[in-house]
Amino acid sequence: MSDDEGAAQERVAIGISFGNSYSSIAYTSSDGKAEVIANEEGDRQIPSILSYIDGEEFQGTQAKSQLVRNPQNTVAYFRDFLGQEFKSIDPTACHQSAHPIQHGSTVAFSIHDTLRPASPGSASANAIVPVSEIATRHLRRLKNSASDFLGKPVNAAVIAVPTNFSDAQRAALREAAERAGLEVLQLVHEPVAALLAYDARPSQPSPDKKKAGGVSQTADKIVVVVDVGGTRSDVAVLASCGGMYTVLATAHDYDVAGATFDGALMDHVAKEFLKKHKGAPDPRAEPRAAAKLRLEAEAVKKALSLGASASFSLESLVAGIDFAMPLNRSRYELLVARHVAALVRAAAHAVDKAGLDAGLDVAEVVCAGGSAHTPRLARALEAAFPRAAAAGAVRAPATDPAALNPSELAARGCAVQASLIEGFERADIEESTEAVVTVTPHLSRALGVVVVAGPAEEEVLVPIVEPDTPVPVRRTAVVPAPAQDGDVLVRLCEGERGVKVTRPERKRAETNGEEAGGSEGGSEEDSEEDDEDEDEEEEEVRERVWKATRTVAEVGLKGVRKGRMVEVQVNVGVGLEVQVMVREVGGKGGVRGVVGGPEGV
Amino acid sequence: PVLPEGWAAEKDFKALSSLSAPTQRNVEPVGPHFLAHARRKRHKRTFSEDERI
Repeated sequence: MSDDEGAAQERVAIGISFGNSYSSIAYTSSDGKAEVIANEEGDRQIPSILSYIDGEEFQGTQAKSQLVRNPQNTVAYFRDFLGQEFKSIDPTACHQSAHPIQHGSTVAFSIHDTLRPASPGSASANAIVPVSEIATRHLRRLKNSASDFLGKPVNAAVIAVPTNFSDAQRAALREAAERAGLEVLQLVHEPVAALLAYDARPSQPSPDKKKAGGVSQTADKIVVVVDVGGTRSDVAVLASCGGMYTVLATAHDYDVAGATFDGALMDHVAKEFLKKHKGAPDPRAEPRAAAKLRLEAEAVKKALSLGASASFSLESLVAGIDFAMPLNRSRYELLVARHVAALVRAAAHAVDKAGLDAGLDVAEVVCAGGSAHTPRLARALEAAFPRAAAAGAVRAPATDPAALNPSELAARGCAVQASLIEGFERADIEESTEAVVTVTPHLSRALGVVVVAGPAEEEVLVPIVEPDTPVPVRRTAVVPAPAQDGDVLVRLCEGERGVKVTRPERKRAETNGEEAGGSEGGSEEDSEEDDEDEDEEEEEVRERVWKATRTVAEVGLKGVRKGRMVEVQVNVGVGLEVQVMVREVGGKGGVRGVVGGPEGV
Repeated sequence: PVLPEGWAAEKDFKALSSLSAPTQRNVEPVGPHFLAHARRKRHKRTFSEDERI
């Protein structure tokens, strides 16, 4: 490939997470670790806000504080407006700042962003700034912060976008970034970036010595990414197979997000204020007091996610009255319990949509986004996804000591991807992300071998390749040989998921006895819940079992000694042809065979 | 399971049926494993060929 182009302009690429509420920037250090960059103000989470005072531009935290004094010249929550028609946007979040206005068919803001005084002819000194220009200014500032930190000019980036971003939105974001002097190497989906941030950790052990193209294999698993942002929450169910990710289902919730949590705190504090100061005006009804309340609520929310108590204090909240009150975490968690439950429901619903079982199939839950710091959310997710919880794989600071900062995941994932592809030619990147490459047949059923196991000598299917695995794929499994010496029949079968429910009989008898004996002790509430609880009291045990649906191939392996293991390697090709290799572990030779692919693939 | 009496096949291998039809899905073009996959796909290589290079 031509080296001239690469040498002419060396790329310095960063990862950018561009959110409605916060943005962050990350780079990959020379030892391969993704690090989030702090801007000049020391912020790693940089508010996506621009504010103008006397023609001077402020961004980030400085701009955020202008929401109180200078709301009409402050632009916030604009990411989702990019590439949208005016009539399709939801401007709710912008009521406290500059309002979006119609500009052609697109969205713009009317702000006083220069020193230009009001000319006699026109009524206002405001300029109409399209949202794409706002995004460009924001991205340019992010780029400059990263350049200052790295000591060399940044000229390329990988940017995270939500999974439901339309092509028009993607194109508008690309265009805005290019105008800010950033070559957009790739747009990456936010949940995938979050997962990549975890999977790319250098500490990740590579248990399998098998290599796929020089990189270690990662386990096959179903992962749920719960991203709780400021103005929206997104859930994605992903199949991670050998380090390749496939989105199985997504859910988006614009009603419950960080702002809802803040709102719950605001309402609580405002009520306390009114109780204490009879006759004072409601601070929520005064725009300036409401803006102050909102900023403080967010700060207190962050403090209560880290510590057990925090103080809510505001100077001159309304009518010149100062207000302060202590808050503890349990109060906060009580206030947001309803919203947390809604988020967990959304996550469970997304898993349903993927045709999976929340308890049995989800092996990992990744919490991303600022509000995912809330300890109660992590606990509620643990309760909803017991398999992930049992494995200690609910990735949030409250439930996993090794968890990464949920706010930083998307930016880190983008930085990892940026470091992987920054050496590539642009044409190579585009070719690789085309549909020809990304649209891949995925197995609709599991592929496994039938083994005899357990005291009941039952025949059970052990999956070797999970469903929804992209092909081509190669997997090796080791299964035990039968208890006696002799020849072994290895049956390679397709399988479907099934659930085995066992209800211990003895337990049922016990609970019945309890009910009969202790009925008078139960309060009204208890008896009401009895019907629902009955299933739980029986302690039914649900297990994932695999049902063999049809036999793909039979292999006879002769002369296997008892107690030995049998190694089965399957290789599924792009046409779904299967190469099978069976041998005794440590043994020589073995049996090989090929099964042709289905017709018309 | 144990090989039943009288089971025989050419080279001890019996192909019975092919896999059921696959579903077409989008792989996320992200991460080192995908890049390896894309490389194989574009050069039409198999796993073992890829390892040898």
